[in-house]
Amino acid sequence: SPQQIICLHLTLSPFHNLQELRHSASLANKVFIQRDYSEGTTCKFQTKFPIELESRIERTLFEDTVKTLNNFYAEAEKIGGQSYLEGCLACTTAYLIFLCIETRYEKVLKKIANYIQEQNEKIYAPRGLVITDPIERGMRVIEISIYEDRGSCGSSSGSSSVSGSTAR
Amino acid sequence: MPGFSGGGIGGGVGGPASAPPRPFRPSRYVPVSAATFFLVGSTTLFFCFTCPWLSEYFSSVIPIYNAVVFIFTLANFCMATFMDPGVFPRAEEDEDKEDDFRAPLYKTVEIKGIQVRMKWCSTCRFYRPPRCSHCSVCDNCVEDFDHHCPWVNNCIGRRNYRYFFLFLLSLTTHIMDVFGFGLVYVLHHRQRLDTPHAAVTMAVMCVAGLFFVPVAGLTGFHIVLVARGRTTNEQVTGKFRGGVNPFTNGCFRNISNVLCRSQAPRYVGRWRSPQSVEIQTPFLRPALTEAQLEAKVLDNGIQNDRHSSKSSLDQNESQSADAEPPPPPKPELRYAGLPRADTEESSLLTEAPPTPSMYKYRPAFNSPGRNHTGHTHPNKSSRQPSYRSEPSSLDGVTVVGGGIGVRRGGGERGEGPGGPGGPGYSLTGRSYTSYPSSLVLSTGGSHTSSLRSAHTAHNPLATLHSEGTTDTSYKSLANQTPRNGSLSYDSLLTPSESPEFESAAHELSPQKLTPLQGYMSPFLSAQIAQQREGQLLQGSATFSSPHRAYLRAVSPPPPETQHLLQHNQDPSTRGPRNPSSSSSSPGARSLEPPVSPPPRGLSLSKSQAHRVGAGGGQQTNAFCVNSRFPISISLSILHFNLLFTHNPPPPHFPPLPYDCPTRFTSRPVSTNHATSKPGGGVKKVTGVGGTTYEISV
Repeated sequence: SPQQIICLHLTLSPFHNLQELRHSASLANKVFIQRDYSEGTTCKFQTKFPIELESRIERTLFEDTVKTLNNFYAEAEKIGGQSYLEGCLACTTAYLIFLCIETRYEKVLKKIANYIQEQNEKIYAPRGLVITDPIERGMRVIEISIYEDRGSCGSSSGSSSVSGSTAR
Repeated sequence: MPGFSGGGIGGGVGGPASAPPRPFRPSRYVPVSAATFFLVGSTTLFFCFTCPWLSEYFSSVIPIYNAVVFIFTLANFCMATFMDPGVFPRAEEDEDKEDDFRAPLYKTVEIKGIQVRMKWCSTCRFYRPPRCSHCSVCDNCVEDFDHHCPWVNNCIGRRNYRYFFLFLLSLTTHIMDVFGFGLVYVLHHRQRLDTPHAAVTMAVMCVAGLFFVPVAGLTGFHIVLVARGRTTNEQVTGKFRGGVNPFTNGCFRNISNVLCRSQAPRYVGRWRSPQSVEIQTPFLRPALTEAQLEAKVLDNGIQNDRHSSKSSLDQNESQSADAEPPPPPKPELRYAGLPRADTEESSLLTEAPPTPSMYKYRPAFNSPGRNHTGHTHPNKSSRQPSYRSEPSSLDGVTVVGGGIGVRRGGGERGEGPGGPGGPGYSLTGRSYTSYPSSLVLSTGGSHTSSLRSAHTAHNPLATLHSEGTTDTSYKSLANQTPRNGSLSYDSLLTPSESPEFESAAHELSPQKLTPLQGYMSPFLSAQIAQQREGQLLQGSATFSSPHRAYLRAVSPPPPETQHLLQHNQDPSTRGPRNPSSSSSSPGARSLEPPVSPPPRGLSLSKSQAHRVGAGGGQQTNAFCVNSRFPISISLSILHFNLLFTHNPPPPHFPPLPYDCPTRFTSRPVSTNHATSKPGGGVKKVTGVGGTTYEISV
């Protein structure tokens, strides 16, 4: 079929430009994973698999990601020895200690940021998805951007430049 | 908004702005300046005039102790004043494109079994999380909002409540210390009170005594709040008065939550590391199982709508202990939703985004347990653009009519031409148009929310949300059923009501032109079929004009009548014809005695019919008689008319249109079994799909 021929042409071309391929992905939609408030105001996100991602990523991968994030946040907000010690230290130093050390929450947030970056690189970006760190949205939602590829294996509604040039 | 440079994402320093720059208001700084002045000034005087003697007379521990307490007070004061209380950044425009002007004002969420309402913040463009409130002074939504304290000129929220609380405690302690030691000094210098030291000490004591009463009162108040796990906002607005507080974890845990929790992070003004992710096509796609595909083909959105309608009903039932006024009742909300769309736009263009009240409607939202239903609908409506833009770009999958399942079902089985892929993956490289992205990103260009709302206000009506509109209008219609039924009855008696109904019907009609091609829910199809039968009946009644008998459909038509609806461009503006009669069991075939007509019924119906007919002229095209009308049907209709008597209409039945005298549809009677049994007082005729009509002779 002509579509297959077009695809073959693209993949076999030795000069296929990464730049071109990158530009061929465009933001199509955004999914927002909302907070799960069933246990109060502790930070927890819903693990319900959104419909838009059904064709883009496996349910288990997505749920793993969200559950790991939830665990991270639970760890950050945990009231335990470290947080208590931090509080006492802060009081005794008139909170000047905050200029020097990083709070427990901030440390976990860094871990979360690294985790999200790693997930994006390994799992989500190959599927055309990008997770935005919820801290950028005030920890209200996890924003997942869905990208579509345009301008590659042409369909009737594809980018005209690609399909037009290779259709002959 | 991070720039999307061709699929890569670049971060930037700083986050989205929390609020536009506000005018400088010096009056805001008066209380905090006064508080600072009195605190620092009085304490300095105390240290200068009273403490030297105290350290000599008693010990030097006293000034040191006082200094420690004072520094602690000052530190907490500074933290409470300068720390971000937990301001939420404004939501990006993409986030609330689903929560457009037709989304509801409140969203209910279940927290530990208690229904809590989340209100839509029109300034910040999101539904406020629980315990969040919008501070009008700071013009920000603040997490765990306690109150706005003028003495520190800052909101007290999640991040700085601890410091505020400790400030109150330490300030009370400090005032007591200053007053106490001053008193000791004065008592020891009773005979030498004319010295400046004594005078100053006494002045300081007066100031301390003056401030002690309110500060101690406030401290006690907050001690109680902390122990009960409430915020000032909740206490003052009486949210949990007589109710249960879902946010409490017991006294000890509440106190430890306030004092021992790690410092919460700030949301605005964060430094974002420029981590970029490269998006490279082709994308991996998960393989769908056969069962999944089949389920998707058959699903056709029925599941979503059922859940959505269910959850919308649940939202009616849930009662929150909110002290705020309840949201506007559902039918009016939807009913008036569309006509007011224009006013919403115009008002948005002229002023700051108002709190949407009536027209803030969204059909589906609920507790997290049911949130999937709540979000399937907005997700669905947000999904619409993507599948709308690819009507025929999918092959192999037999997509459902109307294309709700298109996006989900299609493309997954496309095979990459020898592409590697992992097991179970297929590289499709299928291209989709970026129509939705153009819509989404173009809205990002306009930075004012008013423009954006105006921009998207038309789009939903026209193309983007027409499926969503279908559902909303469908749900609005579905839930309008009783109201419309009663309206049509009322319109018979009081014709003045009908124009309102018609104008709403006019507004409703344009958006329902497209969606009927696809999926039609059983409920709506039942309504429409009833309505069409009503039209048929009234049309046939006008065929013999002098008689105004009305046929009553005893049984509601089953969902098979949806094939009728594809030809009907505007089905349900009038609502169902006879909701009360349809309440009778489908199997009922009882004879019903004729009812004597109300004397005014006919005259009113005549004038009513004229108005309704005029208004409905454009809508009832489908109801006009087709020239290709089978002869047998017209004969059967004639047969019906001959049997008409002067029976009164059932109250909910519509009046007769006079503009199109033969205004009825062939469909319900078309195929049939017009099995009419000549007999006693009642004739029974079965329409299509088993609808039975009883004609009183």
